[in-house]
Amino acid sequence: MARILAFVLNDRARTDAVPGNLLLLDYLREVVGLTGTKTGCDGGECGACTVLIDDKPTLSCLTLAASVEGRRVDTVESLGTDGQLSAVQRGFHEKLGAQCGYCTPGFIMASAGLLRKNPNPSEAEIIAALGSNICRCTGYVKIIEAVQYAAALRAQGIAP
Amino acid sequence: MNKIVPAHNIGGYVPMIDGPEKVSGRAKYTADIMAPGMLAGRIFRSPYSHGEILEVDIAAALKLPGVKAIVTGADCDKTFGVLPIARSEHPLARDRVRYRGEPVAAVAAIDDTTALAAVRLIKLKVRELPAYYTAKAAMAPDAIAIHDKKPGNLERDVLFELGNTAQGFAEADLVREETYNCAEVCQNQMEMHAAVADYDAVRGRMTVHASTQVPYYVHLMLSQILDMNMSRIRVIKPHVGGGFGCRTETLNVELITALLARKIGGSVRTVITREETFITHRGRPETDIKLIIGLRKDGRITAVECECDQRGGAHSGYGVVTILYSGSMLYAIYDLHNVKYLGRRVLTNTPPCGAFRGHGTVDIRFAFESLLDRMAGELGLDPFAVRRANYLNAPTFTDNDLMVNSYGLPECVDWVERASGWKARKNTMPKGKGLGMACSHYISGASKPVNWTGEPHATVKIKLDFDGSVVVLSGAAEIGQGSSTILVQTVAEVLGLDLSRIRIVTGDSDIVPKDNGSYSSRVTFLVGNAAIDAAQNLKRVLVAAAARKLEAKPEDIECLGELYRAGAQDKGASFDEVVVEALKDTGTITVTGNYSTIPESHGGKKYRGAAIGGTMGYSYSAQVVEVSVDEETGVVTVDKVWVAHDCGKALNRLTVEGQVQGSVWMGMGQAMSEEVAYHDGLMLTANMLDYRVPTIQDSPPIEVGIVESNDPHGPFGAKEAGEGSLAAFLPALTNAIADAIGIRFNDLPVTPDRVFEAIEKRRRALGKEKNSSGGA
Amino acid sequence: MDALPAFDLLRPTTLDEAIRIRVAHPGSMPLGGGTDLVVNIRRGIVAPAMLIDMNAVSELKTIRADARGLEIGASVKLAELAGHPDVVKHYPVVAQAAGFIAGPTHRNMGTVGGNLCLDTRCIYYNQSEWWRSANNHCLKTTGDICHVAPKSRGVCFATFSGDLAPALLTLGAEVDLVGPTGRRTLPLSKLYIGHARQGEPVTETRGDGKYFLSLRPGEFVGAVRAKNMPELRSAYDKIRIRRSIEYPVAGVAVALRREGNTLADLRVAFTGTNPRPVLLEGTAALCGGALDERVFKGLDDLVRDQIMAMKTTFTPGHYRRRVAGVLARRLVTRLFTD
Repeated sequence: MARILAFVLNDRARTDAVPGNLLLLDYLREVVGLTGTKTGCDGGECGACTVLIDDKPTLSCLTLAASVEGRRVDTVESLGTDGQLSAVQRGFHEKLGAQCGYCTPGFIMASAGLLRKNPNPSEAEIIAALGSNICRCTGYVKIIEAVQYAAALRAQGIAP
Repeated sequence: MNKIVPAHNIGGYVPMIDGPEKVSGRAKYTADIMAPGMLAGRIFRSPYSHGEILEVDIAAALKLPGVKAIVTGADCDKTFGVLPIARSEHPLARDRVRYRGEPVAAVAAIDDTTALAAVRLIKLKVRELPAYYTAKAAMAPDAIAIHDKKPGNLERDVLFELGNTAQGFAEADLVREETYNCAEVCQNQMEMHAAVADYDAVRGRMTVHASTQVPYYVHLMLSQILDMNMSRIRVIKPHVGGGFGCRTETLNVELITALLARKIGGSVRTVITREETFITHRGRPETDIKLIIGLRKDGRITAVECECDQRGGAHSGYGVVTILYSGSMLYAIYDLHNVKYLGRRVLTNTPPCGAFRGHGTVDIRFAFESLLDRMAGELGLDPFAVRRANYLNAPTFTDNDLMVNSYGLPECVDWVERASGWKARKNTMPKGKGLGMACSHYISGASKPVNWTGEPHATVKIKLDFDGSVVVLSGAAEIGQGSSTILVQTVAEVLGLDLSRIRIVTGDSDIVPKDNGSYSSRVTFLVGNAAIDAAQNLKRVLVAAAARKLEAKPEDIECLGELYRAGAQDKGASFDEVVVEALKDTGTITVTGNYSTIPESHGGKKYRGAAIGGTMGYSYSAQVVEVSVDEETGVVTVDKVWVAHDCGKALNRLTVEGQVQGSVWMGMGQAMSEEVAYHDGLMLTANMLDYRVPTIQDSPPIEVGIVESNDPHGPFGAKEAGEGSLAAFLPALTNAIADAIGIRFNDLPVTPDRVFEAIEKRRRALGKEKNSSGGA
Repeated sequence: MDALPAFDLLRPTTLDEAIRIRVAHPGSMPLGGGTDLVVNIRRGIVAPAMLIDMNAVSELKTIRADARGLEIGASVKLAELAGHPDVVKHYPVVAQAAGFIAGPTHRNMGTVGGNLCLDTRCIYYNQSEWWRSANNHCLKTTGDICHVAPKSRGVCFATFSGDLAPALLTLGAEVDLVGPTGRRTLPLSKLYIGHARQGEPVTETRGDGKYFLSLRPGEFVGAVRAKNMPELRSAYDKIRIRRSIEYPVAGVAVALRREGNTLADLRVAFTGTNPRPVLLEGTAALCGGALDERVFKGLDDLVRDQIMAMKTTFTPGHYRRRVAGVLARRLVTRLFTD
């Protein structure tokens, strides 16, 4: 049975009728058309689908769309202002935290969630926070550098 | 006025030109392509390992409302395969199924739910046949042939002896034989396989979007499978979420989706699951190696004998080439003579293996560097000294006729020795900690293309139009490795222009020239040279135009990128003005650049298949790995890796570092946790929990040293950077573990349970020894 | 798009409402973070007609932790529990166990109730429908045999892998169960009935990997409680092949009390080995003296007798049992000497 879902998606209020068995991931990609959020596995094993729900990194592939009623969901498309990349996005671009780019939106959202909670994370805290995300290209070295760079850009007020 | 100088980018840290799309979520991958009315494709797969097909019953599925078309083996009697000599695979099984998970039928329906429901209604009846899950079982004398034309289930055997091994071993001070086993592993790129096919029935044209490394091969195979003229096919490669070799071959999902689209005369999108992506496979085969090395006290290798069995899976795929690489690439890293190789590629009832990063070289290198390290220890030699005693004297040709021009291995070895503090630290490591080293190498593209057509090996076009934008057109597939960035860099460098002037279009067969694809690390070297050629051709046109405009001789024109002038006193013409002049006679300008490999690089003819291994330039790598071993739990932690990679010339230091780190780390996955395992041919590990790709919390710092040997043929001296550093990690790890706890591991992956068992075994053996000596 | 079977999703905000829904819909299942249940639904392992999202039930979202006792609602997120300062201070074993579960994003989602009731796991079970069907299913679903132990005569050996249960077992925790027939409280150890002895029939009080919880129909976990014992030192450790995302190869919780040089109390519990979390029986006999080789030998014997790791994971059972013992020994030593 479809339920009415009212929530805030990327800073805009949104109301939709969604069936109970619709995953948030599929809702975002196929209903709303926000394809930045990626499907990487058959459920909860890779983190490519990570979005923020009330600022907390969450796996949209294991979240039912109907359960985000009244909450705030941010996807990778929400980042950046006035066409400029956000600090985390700049970090992943300029420090090569992204190679094939497929895991990137998930990593970026997990990193954004970290920096909202902890603007100046240590290397150990970055590693701890990104433990649910798999990248197959980078070996993670430059991902850590990307997040450190992003934190510095934010701290210096260069990018949000 | 600012002084105008040509822009330079080569050798800098250049972020990838398609980075902004990727970090903003705008980059479209195949699964992101959706349109109203598009149907959902879904594949019915064999639950049987091996059987003669008696019936594929689709009647019930066809009746399901919302089902638009079903295709089975009856819809296509053509075969496909990456190698012209080994096209044995049907997109949908006919007559026989050969592995669990082989596609048998496919449904196009109005949505995924309906497609899945329809697949569940399909019934397959077979007469089961004996199934073989190991190379040994498949080679047993009474085994039936999985493919009729391959008796004994031998896809290909390779035998050569160059020099005289018997004599070589006789000259050695130490001869040792060891056996090694490397588990099957796979690419597990983050993007699951997907294809979108659109058939225009009115015009008889097929358009396919595919997550491929080689759009050209997809094009060829579509033509073959659909029995359509190639001119009626268009292949588009959107962003690709990694490949690492498994997308070199055309995959059944692409062909099946096209068959469905043609049957319904419309659009079908098939996005397969992670499990199906695993089963589509094309990974690195399980490999058993018997290796014998003869070593002199001065560290010189006197002879090598190697036997290699690969469990190839149910179809040939790239198998013939893999087993050839394993033999040929024994060479070209050290100065070897007296080498004997026996390789067997075996057909089994498991998903087909293929080309995986470091194709054919990785498991062999693991065995070689492990045994060399062990023997060095036994002769009391330093591992670095043993490598140094066997350097090639480049430029040279190896005994199997491989051309080695640039050879930065000595510098790589020196760099990791210095950076890791090896000399000071090696013998002072605390208990349970150890250092290990190893070397590896790889080709910069195969010198002979798979499909020999007589065309240049690589072609790039550049379009220049009224707007002054320089548009590079290339078929080289950007799959995350940075090929588009490198091509833009090379063109910008030649023209002296800022990178922002240059655009690149790739991945659409209607627009870009054909390319042999992104694999075997060929793009930078081969396509990069073609791009330079194209840019130089364009520059000649521009210089001629500037000469006309400035009323000077072309040879007097100085190109400063944004300014062309005739001598230092001339105020010159801007790039835009030169473009206007250049277009006057011809309109839009298109130039072509080509590159062909030289015959000397094509390998030899001393044995059948000896061309495999030939390349224009080999990359070299040396690594030191530092580990800690918890001897009570068997848990191994990699504390740090130092790697030096000879890429000839780092065109882009950022992407070189990224590629090298990624390779090392992927080697770590194979060495420590990754394994494809089966239960009676059913893949047990077809998910990302059980197929254990290391997480960020398992991954060490990797310090990269870039060695630049300036290859005489490479673009600006460059060679490959994306594969050569993978293999050395494996033996460097096990050598480090041996240093830490005195136990050598010949079987991969080295999981904690294996380390624990080995330590227990030693404890029991020591206990026994103690007891028996106590009793004496 | 992943084709999930059709089901409805309800979001009660009070416990009473949740119970009413549960009673009215016998085919419903409570949903916590979804990190276990939704995966199983996606794999066609379970197909509930309705999910009751428990995350909006405010009564179930509280943590009370102080020097007297600990009470955790079933809908508390694992990340919150792991970081709760009073839990970290007074009940370190619980905070550590919570902080070790899966990966950080999983812990933002996963709940206490979900981890306590985590479905048992097995390589022949946690597979797709196609896979299980090609393998003739198994005892835990619709098949006739256990592929781990084909001669088990009806006993399933799927492994319990929750990390919180062993931690709470060492604290002597109780669990509040809520259901159609009211509320009841059980010692947490009685929630787990996955004894699974080969050849031993499965009964209501002695289950196996399939029947591993003593929940009555319609019942679910409301909260878990433990008393504080100020002198008790506790800690959790586990082994995984990878340090994040994965379920434990073996997990161990230890709580002990030291009086002078005497080991006065010792509780050791395991996960990732048997079809239930195992609180070792017989540890009392090891107490009363110094922490010496006798204690360790005794501990090894108890582990050997009571920990039974079968080939339910990709990592061999033998190793899981042995390494569980090693971790226990280490934790005991560390806690005693700290």
